[in-house]
Amino acid sequence: MTATQSKPPSTGSAGETRTLTLIQAINEAMQEELARDERVVVFGEDVGARGGVFLATAGLQEQFGKKRVFDTPLSEASIVGAAVGMAVRGLRPIAEIQFADYMGPGFDQIISQAAKIRYRSGGQFTAPLVIRTPSGGGVKGGHHHSQSPESYFTHTPGLKVVMPSTPYDAKGLLKSAVRGGDPVIYFEPKRLYRAAKGEVPTQDYTVELGKGAVRREGSDLTIIGYGGVMPDAEKAAQALATEGVQAEVIDLRSLVPWDRDLVLTSVAKTGRAVLVSEAPRISNFMGEVAYVIQEQLFDQLLAPVMQVAGFDTPYPYVQDKVYLPGANRIAAACVRALNY
Amino acid sequence: MIQPFTSDPLQWVAEDGRPIRELPARFTPEVLRDLYREMVRAREFDKKLVTLLRQGRTTFYAQASGMEATQLGLARSIRAGHDWVWPYYRDHALALALGVPMLDLVSQCLGTNSDLCRGRQMPHHFGVARFNFVSISSSIASQVPPAAGSAMAQKYLGTDEITVCTFGDGATSEGDWHAGMNMAGAAGAPCLFVCENNQWAISTNLRAQTASESIHIKAKAYGMPGYYVDGNDIVAVIEVLSHVAEEVRAGKGPALVECLTYRIGSHSNADADAEKNYRTREEVNAWVARDPIVRVERLLEHLGAPVSAEERADLISAAHREVDEAVLKAEASGQPDWRILFEDVYADLPVHLREQAAFLRAEQEGGQA
Repeated sequence: MTATQSKPPSTGSAGETRTLTLIQAINEAMQEELARDERVVVFGEDVGARGGVFLATAGLQEQFGKKRVFDTPLSEASIVGAAVGMAVRGLRPIAEIQFADYMGPGFDQIISQAAKIRYRSGGQFTAPLVIRTPSGGGVKGGHHHSQSPESYFTHTPGLKVVMPSTPYDAKGLLKSAVRGGDPVIYFEPKRLYRAAKGEVPTQDYTVELGKGAVRREGSDLTIIGYGGVMPDAEKAAQALATEGVQAEVIDLRSLVPWDRDLVLTSVAKTGRAVLVSEAPRISNFMGEVAYVIQEQLFDQLLAPVMQVAGFDTPYPYVQDKVYLPGANRIAAACVRALNY
Repeated sequence: MIQPFTSDPLQWVAEDGRPIRELPARFTPEVLRDLYREMVRAREFDKKLVTLLRQGRTTFYAQASGMEATQLGLARSIRAGHDWVWPYYRDHALALALGVPMLDLVSQCLGTNSDLCRGRQMPHHFGVARFNFVSISSSIASQVPPAAGSAMAQKYLGTDEITVCTFGDGATSEGDWHAGMNMAGAAGAPCLFVCENNQWAISTNLRAQTASESIHIKAKAYGMPGYYVDGNDIVAVIEVLSHVAEEVRAGKGPALVECLTYRIGSHSNADADAEKNYRTREEVNAWVARDPIVRVERLLEHLGAPVSAEERADLISAAHREVDEAVLKAEASGQPDWRILFEDVYADLPVHLREQAAFLRAEQEGGQA
């Protein structure tokens, strides 16, 4: 099984790349989709002249005008609801929710309208739209600017849920989401906005939703994560390598649908799985990954599936470094799996 | 003549059937008779569907008896099949008047193969794409922000449809109602909001719903005109709504129209004995006396074109026949099978749904998963 490339494939002279940050890649994806398709509109709180509080939409209003890139009232229900109405009428809305922590007021619009209109109407009406939102901790935001609410959305049939961790994936996944036929919740790990840098092709490309990526190959155990924890997962793997342990590292990239083939192939090879996320542990999406691993590979497992997650507390302000699963905690879980 | 923010509902025809202001020329006896027929058709649909409910052939039904003038008047004030409608769950008289075939409505209520929604929604939650009649969510007021978005899309595309959004009085307490109204107002979107104020949200009266003196005055806070109309007066409803709809179409921004009416029946089968529990027989009787169908009968009588008892009986039996035929045709199409579970969740069928579909096929049809 070939892993999906985490870096752009080398395609000769046509494969020109340059280094971008995660947020530059997101900005570029929107810029190119706005230029490609007149049905694409970008809106949310402060996304216009301000360019968004993190500057994800910087320069877009200037280039495409207020008709296509615009500020909305401070109301997440309005933003998501308007996106649903526009999508039903054939536009391709990209809506920004300023922080994932504020998806609450738009929650009913997501689960009752966006997620269900195709199903409940027998496919007569559809709402292909993208809701982009910064999520996760690590920016000293306290619990109302740091949460990881992805599991609420993975639990709702009809939604696709993705979270990139590299600039390449951020751009490719966002383009796929805009061009697809479904509502996509696109989480952006905000602590990687400027910390994650990587090569991004100059020419158009997409990353398929539902496909994970192998970040590092190894034979002794498999570390599986997504989003903001990925740099720490790779650091843990590097630390283990100095002890002679070869960890395979998988970035899920998409949660719904998720790449079961990639995960199961890897864990069948290594016999050990360590699941890493920063969301609270109870009802964490990784519980589903653990379930499928034990169901499919029970006889081949050499250790229980380990999970490193956030604690089941609200996200703390001062002790946020302690709350987040860092490389040491991930490595410790790997050692427990190895010594089982 | 048609002004927003009046203290009393705008009215053209008094309860005794006499015009209290000059009857517009378009309301000829022939036109009024056509409106009368359509209201009787909706009323009898209501009665027949309640019977189907009691027979256990459908499991939910929300009556609109008493609200026919509001819903029919709205349908006659917009461009059917051209304008977009984001309705609420009590709008079958609106759907019928827009031209949605009775078979489509009955099929949805019965969840048969002839149901356009493929049997996935609880009964009385219609959605008919070819009439731009958008599928209904039970979540109260959740259609309001999408309706604002629909109107924003219309403005973006530069086409001449308007978006119509209906809701009951209870919906105006929901956060999404305010969010959607505010969004439409801020965007100057061509959205016509119509409150079918029947004064009861299941068992909660309007007076417990809000301390506001009326619903239409709330429009002021969103920068749009709010009109107040007697929702049981078909002439008033059409006069006001057609005027406001064309204002909205002309680019003057959104508007709210509150149609004051009354739900003569219960909310649904969930409160089949309303008078026993939360409202008085006297109150219901007072509103039965203001029945919108009776008012047109009286108006026609006043105009010298009365409806005979025989004509009325013929209309009723024709409506019953129409429902019966639709029921037979719908039931003959059969019930959808297990396959409807997995289709239309997504545009494609992700691997986890393929696996679950294989499991269910094996369980339902035998063989290997």
